[in-house]
Amino acid sequence: MDLILTFMLLFPLIGAMFNALVGWRLPRRLGEGVACAAVLGALVMAVAGFVLLGQGTLQVTLLDWLAVGDFSVSFSLLYNPLAALMALMVTFVSNIIHLYSVGFMREDEDWARYFCYLNLFVFAMLVITLADNLLFFYLGWEGVGFCSYALIGFWYSDPANAAAGRKAFVVTRIGDVAFGIALALLVYLFHSLSLSDLHHHATMLSPGLAALLSLLLLWAAMGKSAQLPLTVWLPDAMAGPTPVSALIHAATMVTAGVYLLIRMFPIVSQSPLALMIIAGVGAVTTIYGAAAALGQRDIKRVLAYSTISQVGYMVLAVGAADIIGGMFHLLSHAFFKSLLFLTAGYVIQALAGEHDIFKMGNLRRLLPHIYWPFLIGALALSAFPMIGGFFSKDRILLATFISPGVSYKVFWVLATVAAFITPLYTFRLFCLVFQDRPDGSTPEEIKPVPNFMAYILWPLALLALLDGMLNLPFGPGKRWLGVYLSSMPGSRVDLGAPLAYELGMGVGSALIIVAVIILTCYLYRPPGPAWRAPGWQALLFEAFYLDKLYQYLLVGPYRRLAVFWWQGADEGGIDRGLKGAAAGVEVLSRGLGHGTSGRLSTYVKMLLVGLTLLLTALALKFFL
Amino acid sequence: MTADSLLLVLVFFPLAGSLLALGAGYQPRLCRWVSLILSLMQMALISLLFFLDLQPHSGPTGTWLLAVDYPWLEGIGARFSLGLDGLSLLLLWLTAFLTVISVLISWTAINLKVGLFHFFLLFLEGCLMGLFMATDLLLFYLFWEIQLIPMFFLLGIWGHARRIYAAVKFVLFTFGGSLFMLIALLVLYVLHGHQTGEYTFSLYQLSQTPLSPTVEGWLYAAFLLAFAVKIPLVPLHTWLPDAHTEAPTAGSVDLAGLLLKTGFYAFFRFAFPLFPGAAQASIPLLLALGLVGMFYAAWIALAQTDIKRLVAYSSIGHMGLMVLALGIWNLMALSGSLLQLFNHGISTSALFVMVGMLDERLGSRNFQDMGGLWQQMPVFSAFFLFFALSSMGLPGLNNFVGEILILLGAFQIRPLIAVLAFVGVLLTVIYILRMVQDSLFGESRRVQPLRDVTPREVLILAVMALPVLYIGLHPGPVLRLFESSLQVMWGQFPMLARSLGG
Repeated sequence: MDLILTFMLLFPLIGAMFNALVGWRLPRRLGEGVACAAVLGALVMAVAGFVLLGQGTLQVTLLDWLAVGDFSVSFSLLYNPLAALMALMVTFVSNIIHLYSVGFMREDEDWARYFCYLNLFVFAMLVITLADNLLFFYLGWEGVGFCSYALIGFWYSDPANAAAGRKAFVVTRIGDVAFGIALALLVYLFHSLSLSDLHHHATMLSPGLAALLSLLLLWAAMGKSAQLPLTVWLPDAMAGPTPVSALIHAATMVTAGVYLLIRMFPIVSQSPLALMIIAGVGAVTTIYGAAAALGQRDIKRVLAYSTISQVGYMVLAVGAADIIGGMFHLLSHAFFKSLLFLTAGYVIQALAGEHDIFKMGNLRRLLPHIYWPFLIGALALSAFPMIGGFFSKDRILLATFISPGVSYKVFWVLATVAAFITPLYTFRLFCLVFQDRPDGSTPEEIKPVPNFMAYILWPLALLALLDGMLNLPFGPGKRWLGVYLSSMPGSRVDLGAPLAYELGMGVGSALIIVAVIILTCYLYRPPGPAWRAPGWQALLFEAFYLDKLYQYLLVGPYRRLAVFWWQGADEGGIDRGLKGAAAGVEVLSRGLGHGTSGRLSTYVKMLLVGLTLLLTALALKFFL
Repeated sequence: MTADSLLLVLVFFPLAGSLLALGAGYQPRLCRWVSLILSLMQMALISLLFFLDLQPHSGPTGTWLLAVDYPWLEGIGARFSLGLDGLSLLLLWLTAFLTVISVLISWTAINLKVGLFHFFLLFLEGCLMGLFMATDLLLFYLFWEIQLIPMFFLLGIWGHARRIYAAVKFVLFTFGGSLFMLIALLVLYVLHGHQTGEYTFSLYQLSQTPLSPTVEGWLYAAFLLAFAVKIPLVPLHTWLPDAHTEAPTAGSVDLAGLLLKTGFYAFFRFAFPLFPGAAQASIPLLLALGLVGMFYAAWIALAQTDIKRLVAYSSIGHMGLMVLALGIWNLMALSGSLLQLFNHGISTSALFVMVGMLDERLGSRNFQDMGGLWQQMPVFSAFFLFFALSSMGLPGLNNFVGEILILLGAFQIRPLIAVLAFVGVLLTVIYILRMVQDSLFGESRRVQPLRDVTPREVLILAVMALPVLYIGLHPGPVLRLFESSLQVMWGQFPMLARSLGG
């Protein structure tokens, strides 16, 4: 088993090193092949590990990393059902995306750099998935951050792309400040950073400390998972190649924050206050993201805001102490959102780089290969009844509703409203892109795209369609996921809600969602909506001006102050002061005026000559 | 002849070698090869010490892994005594390593007075060897001052346009600071002599001098001033950006990689053991200066237009974090801080080396003339990104290990300071990413093609990347070296351990 886990990590790392060191000199097919094979190897290992593990828990120490006094950190892994599932999802989605990328990047000369970063990303993401020691976890955490930075700015010759990558890195690093502090606090409290140790000692925490720790972890998760108020990097991150958005900014890295909270749930769950704040952040973010998605024109930005909103549900699930629901939604979201991104990538390539959905249309006719996968993704995202996303979202709403306290009822209202906005923005997108419109795309505009890129999406599409079966509330295989994950401390297989609630909410939301979908299709029927509300549209398009606000309040002043400190304080103040002192000395010495030329450099030279003589004398003295 | 006398060889071999290089100067090629071989031999010799399985043993000058002690200026009681511990060993290795690098990067860049240039390089190496091992204060002071001479000329002869200004500023600042140290040193010497009747400059003996708090405070302040200029601590840092901007690449490498380390080293080796009470009292000051340095320098770095000046300011910021660790003074933070000395020596030097390569190609270090370099120089750019990431503390690379140890250690004692320091590390990310973006990314602004790195340059960069990865992934052996050094130090200076804990 140790070997399986080691190889799961090593394969992508070796693949990355191969493409970094030699791959770029070798034929393209070979480099791509190695990258894909590396990820396939990881998938095989993940499957093998999943099968062999059963429901056990395994702690493996690979190597020592650093040790000072009696504090030590090693590269150690904690392999339990949660990690096994996550590893399966990560390696599976990575495989699809690597294969898709071979097609997507077919015209890019810089493929070696691309696949190197992509492999490295898979390695780092698996580190997050498997790590036992939180410092090792942090290595993966920063590693995915770096890969995300490098891949967002992959087409660096446009400064805007590189700037988007930089923004993503800095904003997530703002979150990581709290992660670092949490690590320091854990070392202070437990003298260990090993998750398995922490789980044992979690109950010893006082409520205050548990709350503090949880909030620090929440802040870290907000950065990585683009939750309010640290959402601003994710929409810009769409500057990267679309497969990257699918892998990093939909399926895996953005959910790492949620995964952290689930992994640390034994500590997080000690503080009801922290849980409530977590739920609040999630709930507000769901509706924020959904509303902003409604105002976007760029196909990828719609999906980006939708990701923000959907990850909000996962955070809400953690806050409602339903980690199984959170994990359930994390998995189904990974499938349908990466599916949607990959179909969007296909559309964008077919339209020669067009991102604006208002300039699309007619694609049902023009790109039939991609129509059905996209429709399945859209239905799953909308939580269409009996499709994957429906069960997971419903469970989270239910868990929120039955949580005690008025605040959870408010969160439930927010999240439910967001759930009804979701089909609205999804089918607005779908109708604008695929429906027949007189002013839509024409056959002449369509560039050829390999069909392979559409076929490879079917595994994802099937999973998106059927992954509700992982945790059906009824029938055969009932709550398989919940039972499988039940060994996790604090997990609830059955929420214990009255049947009436469960049925009522399920049927009610199903009806409303179907109604909203029909309404949307009606609103956006050709030739498209006629109404205009410029103020509202701008507000939503700018996502409530959050980004502009940060620019105005933080980024601008920071830059201006940097210039001021440099030219005003450093050169104008300190250096001039010191120079003034030197000039004073010079004037003084000239006043004394004996045998001086008044030039500082002459003094220095004389000083050095004197020193040299002194040294020679001393050295002679030593040897004689 | 015992292994101890190796220490003499370590000091005098480069000094003698410098004369050889000077002699070979009539033929530049020969001189380069001679210097390279000599510096490689020196490095091999020091590397050997790692494998000798040295154990600390006590002698007349204290407990060291290796020590020598010869009479020198008997009239005044100064002795030629050197001592080696884990920290010195690592700094010696760094010195030897960076000297090899300096010779290699100057291979084609320096064509003026080649013999003299290599003479100064090797001479500086010898001085630093002595400085990092001296356990006699007068001897230390001598090396401390003499290292200025080669540096002054490296700056003044082979520097850029405003080299004389920068060189003079550099010497005036550091010399001005160390004059105070000389006075304090002499006062301490006389006081000790008066009290015990034995006039000596031995660190071990002087550290046992009972001092009244006032006197101790003043003496410590004088040392602090001297070392603060060298480290440099804000607000005594303004010589550094000028010196770096004007220095040739090898000069910058030695300056950032080694000379700045002498300030911190001296602080740790001399000021703290000699004046533990005052050092303890100065802790709030050190913490404040460290934090201010971190924030101030990192903030200013963001606004720089000259890439070399940006790296120079980044040095100041990094040193701030190390000084902060001095104020924390627990095993974790100190180990991290000593490791950071080494890490900073490698990573920042590597950045200076790369900036130098860029300067050779572009004839400019201004961000306005860069952009889009990745397109034309992918190998160079990959290395540059690598060292930039190391400098900003990406886990898995060297700086992270040092930084996180300092931060975790700091939090155990002073959580609030540590929280501020965590934020300070974030500022580093901001300017490093800005540097990477404005140089490597964006649209290429040049019409004529740039040549990517040559095999010689790849060799230099690959060799510098190895310690970055090694320390990043397997710092255990080095940390153990520090740990034993620190334990020995706390045993050796009980007053220090008592006032600051150990």
